[in-house]
Amino acid sequence: MLFFTAIKSDIKMNRFKYCFASVLFLFGAVVMAQEEGDVKEEREPGHYNQSKFKQLYEEFSTPNTYRSASGAPGPDYYQQQADYVMDIQLDDKNAKINGEETITYHNNSPDDLEFLWVQLDQNVRAKDSKSPLRNGNGVNIAYTAGNFAETYINEPFDGGFNIMSVTDESGKPLSYTINQTMMRINIPEALKSGEKISFSIKWWYNIPDHTVNRARSGFEYFPKDGNRAYVIAQFFPRMAVYSDVEGWQNHQFWGSGEFALPFGNYDVSITVPADHVLDATGELQNRDEVFSKEMMKRYKQAKKSYDKPVLIVTQEEAEAAEKGFATDTKTWKFKATNVRDYGFATSRKFIWDMQAVKIGSKDVMAVSLYPKEGNPLWEEQSTKAVAQTLITYSKHTFDYPYHKAISVHAKNQGMEYPMICWNYGRPNEDGTYSDRVKYGMISVIIHEVGHNFFPMIVNSDERQWGWMDEGLDTFMQYLAEQEFGENNPDVIAPNEKYPSRRGDPAKIVPYMAGDQSYISPIMSNPENVYQLGPNAYAKPATALNILRETVMGEELFDHAFKTYAQRWMFKHPTPEDFFRTMEDASAVDLDWYWRGWFYTTDYVDIGVSGVKKYYVSNKPTKEMEKYMADRNLTEADLPPLVYLAEEDSEDFEPELKGKSPTETSQNLKEFMMDNMSEAERAQVKEPKYFYEITFDKPGGIPMPLIVEYTYADGTTENVTYPPEIWRKNDAEVKRVMATEKELVGIVVDPKLETADIDTTNNSWPKKDEKSDFDQFKENIKGK
Amino acid sequence: MMKLIKARTMVLPLVLLLFLSFSSAHKFYVSVTNIVYSEEDSAFQITSRVFIDDLDKLLKERYGVEAKLATPNESKIAEEYIEKYFRTKFVVEMDGKIVAYNFLGKRYDNDVVICYLEIPNVDLSEVKQMSVQNEVLTDLFDEQKNVVHVKWKGNKKSFVLIRENNKGMLNL
Repeated sequence: MLFFTAIKSDIKMNRFKYCFASVLFLFGAVVMAQEEGDVKEEREPGHYNQSKFKQLYEEFSTPNTYRSASGAPGPDYYQQQADYVMDIQLDDKNAKINGEETITYHNNSPDDLEFLWVQLDQNVRAKDSKSPLRNGNGVNIAYTAGNFAETYINEPFDGGFNIMSVTDESGKPLSYTINQTMMRINIPEALKSGEKISFSIKWWYNIPDHTVNRARSGFEYFPKDGNRAYVIAQFFPRMAVYSDVEGWQNHQFWGSGEFALPFGNYDVSITVPADHVLDATGELQNRDEVFSKEMMKRYKQAKKSYDKPVLIVTQEEAEAAEKGFATDTKTWKFKATNVRDYGFATSRKFIWDMQAVKIGSKDVMAVSLYPKEGNPLWEEQSTKAVAQTLITYSKHTFDYPYHKAISVHAKNQGMEYPMICWNYGRPNEDGTYSDRVKYGMISVIIHEVGHNFFPMIVNSDERQWGWMDEGLDTFMQYLAEQEFGENNPDVIAPNEKYPSRRGDPAKIVPYMAGDQSYISPIMSNPENVYQLGPNAYAKPATALNILRETVMGEELFDHAFKTYAQRWMFKHPTPEDFFRTMEDASAVDLDWYWRGWFYTTDYVDIGVSGVKKYYVSNKPTKEMEKYMADRNLTEADLPPLVYLAEEDSEDFEPELKGKSPTETSQNLKEFMMDNMSEAERAQVKEPKYFYEITFDKPGGIPMPLIVEYTYADGTTENVTYPPEIWRKNDAEVKRVMATEKELVGIVVDPKLETADIDTTNNSWPKKDEKSDFDQFKENIKGK
Repeated sequence: MMKLIKARTMVLPLVLLLFLSFSSAHKFYVSVTNIVYSEEDSAFQITSRVFIDDLDKLLKERYGVEAKLATPNESKIAEEYIEKYFRTKFVVEMDGKIVAYNFLGKRYDNDVVICYLEIPNVDLSEVKQMSVQNEVLTDLFDEQKNVVHVKWKGNKKSFVLIRENNKGMLNL
């Protein structure tokens, strides 16, 4: 408002007036101090910085030469490398795996290592595993017979690794110590910085039925045809990560905290029954030996098919193969460069399709493997979902660097490995399926294929921080699902948008509004949280979605997120590297956001608590009169002043209503005539209505204050006050609105962008919000 | 890994299941029922959220009704059977006596069907104890868990009901 600025400069010109202005400024504080003077003096104790906007220095470790303050890898950043040469034999008859591997471990760290740690994940399923003992339980009122037998009668499944030998390069035994899921190799001499060591392990284990004990890998048995479909992972002793932040990451595998693995190159031979169809991490080296001529022909077609998948093995062929039970074997040979893990799927039941996807200047193969039990859903949707995932994720991170991505159908599974993942989504036996099954399947495929980016390539430590891959992946999953919907309107009809389960702010409200004793901050270890789903998946995904849409804006967010992905591609980031990079690349101060959303269990609740209406007056208000009387001042002693009279106070006089400020304030009129030309005065639009609006914030998380003002003529105005509006008063803030039109409504967060857990306080005048129940009841009455 | 499968591998104390938000319940066999006392109407207002495909399957297996819920071809008798089923499996008692409720109807919200029930004319000052038996879908799925939240006069109480433990009691 032009004339307000002008008054300010006038005050500066006049010394007396200037002094008065400072006195007036202190006025509120003076009165308060006088009132307190009568009370017995009790000093408030001091306190540490409690601001929600306080820097995160205490939570963050100090940047160093390994990890820079910008969030990028530092000049001395290093990571270890583990290369594997493996020979794997599947014993289909007994459901066993026999394996031999030679690990070459490169010590790129500046430290000499006295011993090496190797992960034995299958030991979580050993008979003596402590994993089932870590949770308390009690006696149920009653048990189903099956449940009772499983709990108290059946022998536990013996699924641990049986280590046959650990030998050095010359074949001599190496000493080792097994502590549950971790094995320490006691090397005779320390592995010096910059050196490498090779050693070999021979082992076998019983493959679990993953549909029974819900392992992350195993087989599913199909009683109708007597076949098994295998999805195999964590099947070999794997090197633990050694890093600048954890030393050895040898936190035990208990079941919830997933994996931490170094990158390396794999050379793997897998021997399976000759009639099996197999795919795995890495490039197939002997396609000529394992493919029939017909398969080769179809494969060449698939490499040129960009719009739809080509069947390499048809359902008819797979059904014929189901009856075979070959006794001879075939060996499939793969090489994988720069991967952090290895998985494969094999069965004679598999149908196999592929298509090419253009990613940057490269072709990537989108691949699906599924038994006939997955059809017709799988032939319709799986490869399509893989292709969409590669496109959307590549756009937001980096071009997918591997040559293929495979989606394998396994009942009840949703688990990821480099280039390959297992996914659920099984139609009924008659081939029909509900929307829940269909969307569940498409979503899980997008999610698991998406894990190629986080954590397979942006290789965070899942054992320590589940949210770093699950949260980022679930966030990206939302974007990919929405694009899948846009590109496949026929698949999602009659929905207009893909019905994503996670990402929409309103969907996280029940969790964030829940019982605080069962909520953990996102920054918690996955083994120790109450609800891993919302904790590591939905809440971080929603937090990032809100950050993108509402706090930073898509442009700034997308650039920063991409910067993070590219900085840490094929490296090991920590949470701080993510937090720092998002600020570094955007110039948006986000300490308050990380603190509120990631380090605490605070929630968002912002509302409007009061509105006062004022009119311009030439007469001092009662408060002003008292102020003058206390100081023996009269109006003549003061510069010309403009007053605002509140409508509900005794200062208010009806004739003030509906008039412009220059009509009711002689002082203002004279000032404008003295200081502005006629032309300038003609330009001025005087506000007629003055409102003092109080916004309150019962929730702990500061958020942008998004307000929609509605005027008497039906028009609306949207104002977003930055989150910093809460920096000096976390509970309440006032804003004055000077408007030409009468204000009739105020709504905070009108589009439900902030996950506000209680919207009953979001409106003025207070809306009598009908409960869902009452609304429903009213609707049926109308019918 | 998709969280659902993982969570199933954990032996969660029952009480924790109360706090699973419905939106993450895919692949869980869960229903969530809210029972709220409305002072204004002197009535218990009940909303029960059940997965559409679970209920569809139930109607087919139990009654042989091809309900095709939430599709343009939804069976005209579907709602009648849903009500019939609820009356068998969802029972509220006050001070030991079964109380009648009105089955107002249902609506769909994404992949769940919300059923609206009302127990009218309840004077809370005259009721000492209430019990809620919710066996919905436990006849179809061994793993079905029915979460029930009751809210009255600023009080809250929640139950997780399963086949073997199908009834929750509370003192009003």
